[in-house]
Amino acid sequence: MFLETKELTKNFGGLAAVFQLEMSVREGEIVGLIGPNGAGKTTVFNLITGFLRPSGGRILFDGKDISGKKPHLIAKMGIGRTFQLAYLFPEFTVFENIVTSFNLYPKSSFWEALFKTPSYRRKELYILEQAKEILYLVGLEGVKNVLGRNLPHGYQKLLTMARALAIKPRILLLDEPIAGMSLEEINYAMSVIEKIRSQGVTILLVEHNMRIMTLCDRVIVINFGNKIAEGSMEEVRQNQEVMKAYFGREDAA
Amino acid sequence: MVAGEHAPSGGRNWIKTVAYAGLIILLFLLPLFVDSVYYLHTFIITLIYTIAACSLRTILISGQLSIAHAAFMGLGAYVSSIFARELNWTPWLTIPLGGVSAMVVGVLAGYPLTRVRAIYFSMVSLFVGLAIVALMGVFQKYTGGDIGLIGIPPLPSITIPGLPTINFLSSKIPYYYFFLLLTVFCLMILHSLENSRIGMSWKAIAQSYLVASSVGINEAGFRVLALAVGCFFAGIAGAGYAHYNMVLTRSSFGFLSSVNLLIYVLVGGTGSFFGPIIGTTVLVIVPEIFRWLKTFAPFVFGGIMLLVVFFMPQGIAGLFEQVKTKFLHFQERKKPRDVS
Amino acid sequence: MISDVAAQTVVNVLMLSSIYILVALGFALLLTVLGILNFAHAAIYMVGGYICYQLAVVVGINQWASLLISMIAVGLLGLFLERVFFRPFLKDMNRIVVVTLALIIILQATINVTVGSYIRRIPSFVPGVLRFSGVSVSGDRLATFVIGGVLLLAVILFIRKTKTGLQMLAISQDSDGAALQGIKTHRIFAVTTAIGCALAAVAGSLMGAILSLSPFMGDIMLVKAIEIVILAGIGSIGGVLIGGLILGALDATLPLFISGSATDLTGLCIIIILLLIRPQGLFGREV
Ligand SMILES: Nc1ncnc2c1ncn2[C@@H]1O[C@H](COP(=O)(O)OP(=O)(O)OP(=O)(O)O)[C@@H](O)[C@H]1O
Ligand SMILES: [Mg+2]
Repeated sequence: MFLETKELTKNFGGLAAVFQLEMSVREGEIVGLIGPNGAGKTTVFNLITGFLRPSGGRILFDGKDISGKKPHLIAKMGIGRTFQLAYLFPEFTVFENIVTSFNLYPKSSFWEALFKTPSYRRKELYILEQAKEILYLVGLEGVKNVLGRNLPHGYQKLLTMARALAIKPRILLLDEPIAGMSLEEINYAMSVIEKIRSQGVTILLVEHNMRIMTLCDRVIVINFGNKIAEGSMEEVRQNQEVMKAYFGREDAA
Repeated sequence: MVAGEHAPSGGRNWIKTVAYAGLIILLFLLPLFVDSVYYLHTFIITLIYTIAACSLRTILISGQLSIAHAAFMGLGAYVSSIFARELNWTPWLTIPLGGVSAMVVGVLAGYPLTRVRAIYFSMVSLFVGLAIVALMGVFQKYTGGDIGLIGIPPLPSITIPGLPTINFLSSKIPYYYFFLLLTVFCLMILHSLENSRIGMSWKAIAQSYLVASSVGINEAGFRVLALAVGCFFAGIAGAGYAHYNMVLTRSSFGFLSSVNLLIYVLVGGTGSFFGPIIGTTVLVIVPEIFRWLKTFAPFVFGGIMLLVVFFMPQGIAGLFEQVKTKFLHFQERKKPRDVS
Repeated sequence: MISDVAAQTVVNVLMLSSIYILVALGFALLLTVLGILNFAHAAIYMVGGYICYQLAVVVGINQWASLLISMIAVGLLGLFLERVFFRPFLKDMNRIVVVTLALIIILQATINVTVGSYIRRIPSFVPGVLRFSGVSVSGDRLATFVIGGVLLLAVILFIRKTKTGLQMLAISQDSDGAALQGIKTHRIFAVTTAIGCALAAVAGSLMGAILSLSPFMGDIMLVKAIEIVILAGIGSIGGVLIGGLILGALDATLPLFISGSATDLTGLCIIIILLLIRPQGLFGREV
């Protein structure tokens, strides 16, 4: 298994936001993680990426136990993520946002950076090339020099994806990548996600908007932090438990 | 174009270089026009605090508003003085040693401090400063305690073959040049670091530590690095001060001094490298001009601060940026036109 | 005799703690409700002391009335400060730092120019020594404790029992959420600042009777307030009481055992060790 959680549990005070969750993602897949509000989806992402420490259970990535590691180390292992809200560096331009995110490869030492040695310049030039490629891949070249805080919402969401790509992720965790987008923007964002996948990046995504599930090979449904169903979108739709969990919600089925 | 140097217009960089060079040349010629000892003293103090303020800004751009910086100056000052006084080491060696000691303590304190952020970092950093100053009191035997430390050796005279000997006790001018060179040297290093990938990572952490760590920036590591660099130069500034003033009291490195440094940086503006330089210059020199106001003089200082807060949201340097943007019709970094 | 020393120490601890808590509580309220680090809080404490002094000594009105007027006047000053100096900069930490530091400088200079920098004293509120079954205690110190206790009780009841108080709590927990629920945050900010400043004024006046007044008396108190808030844990109002007691106890008893600057260091070390064990403070929410 590529990414796997075993009896993963997270308690907040008395509340178990995630409870003995077993789920797995194979390399090359796009998997959708869905569930009603407060089901624990974001918490699962935070646990995998090291922003929260699990109260119990383990997380395995590529066979290695990564539970409880620091976020930057997990990023280094090739797990990229976006946040539910369009967090970015508001005082940096779009391009700077992406360039800053190239931290893992290639690496310069303190002294190289201080003296701006030729090797440092070479590495930075290489990064600029790579950053431009990402800029084109995501389609942000037109707003390259716009400050993050002045960017319209749709672009912000795209930028968060571009930024996550800068760490050359092997798996990308997208938390509600199309939330708040217009129909046009959604179609565009979905085409970007397709493109990313076609470059061999595995994707695990959370989304309330079911339109995106057409991209997914497989869907995992959780409620109260526990898996209640798994399978193709069609299979999940038929599931009684899922109907119950989404009771009253029209977009569920 | 390299990380950090994202203003692509070559013309602007050219103007900048000329401005920097002009300013430095002007400062080098200054003693030709000013022969008052008192003015030279004021300029020297300005230079020392400029190093301290710029190094404090380095810590600030990593999102850490420290209220302990003067204590690190004091650390450098006392370490350098004690080694020069008790062991007769030459100040040329003890000054860097002062910087290194301040850096070591900064790193030791910095790791636990990474557990807290923003306002809470500021409040806890206060303890670090207080503890350092309290320690100076405890080691009274070496620091002179509250009575003060006297008899700190001045900088030794320099003999270069073929040139007259430079004697630091002869007048203030050799000291002025020493501190000017030291300031240029320190600021070049700080500037280079800020305009590198390291500086970008600091600024990234300050804007969002969550995003920064999600793209692999080691938040704790970079914050400690900023503290290490900042404290090193604070230590250097303090050590230089010790061998200039030749007398030290620990109260000059307490809470109020740290707050003063913070005011220099914030009033000058944290957004630009020039900020603390302008802030220090204005806030050291203007109160000197208004000394005749006696008890009313603090109103000038407070007044400048209020003026800046209400009318210059980015500090005095921010005002320059605004004016510059207006005049040069700077094309970069403006709001997007419709780009679909 | 032993019991005399013990009793006096206890009273000293309680007295010092009450003053600390009166100042720190206001500081903590501003920190959690408005989200600002009010460096000027202890300068306001100093101003409160001087207003009381001016009224009681220079104007010559009844001392208790002076205390009350000082409290009200500084409360109003708080309203003014909140409206003019805090509200425009609430979201901008850098500017709040500059504005509150500027206030310290201006308030100190104002007192310096109007009253002068000589040490002043407010006459005792409860003169003489009170005797309880063979133990003698200074009346002023006991009075400080009683007044402090009553005020704290009143503030805590206000926060827990009135609508405004509960709204203060709600904002301190989640200011955006509270605004969404229709709480008029600005009104609450104003009330909070007024209460915080009034408490500081009382502390300043009492301190002026026990020790003395100086334009720079706030500098130490500011450090104490920050220490208490850190000890208590961010966001914990109840923790301020315990934190104040701990610090009061340390400051009142350590000088009996250790001398000179080692006292400062020992106190600081105890706090730093506590922080290393519990970085969120004694009663802070886990981050
Ligand atoms: N830091 C935290 N402290 C306390 N409780 C938390 C914390 N983070 C999340 N929770 C709680 O854990 C539960 C799961 O939250 P989570 O954000 O993971 O849900 P979600 O599935 O992402 O919901 P949504 O679809 O609304 O984003 C919720 O009840 C939430 O209130
Ligand atoms: Mg969520």
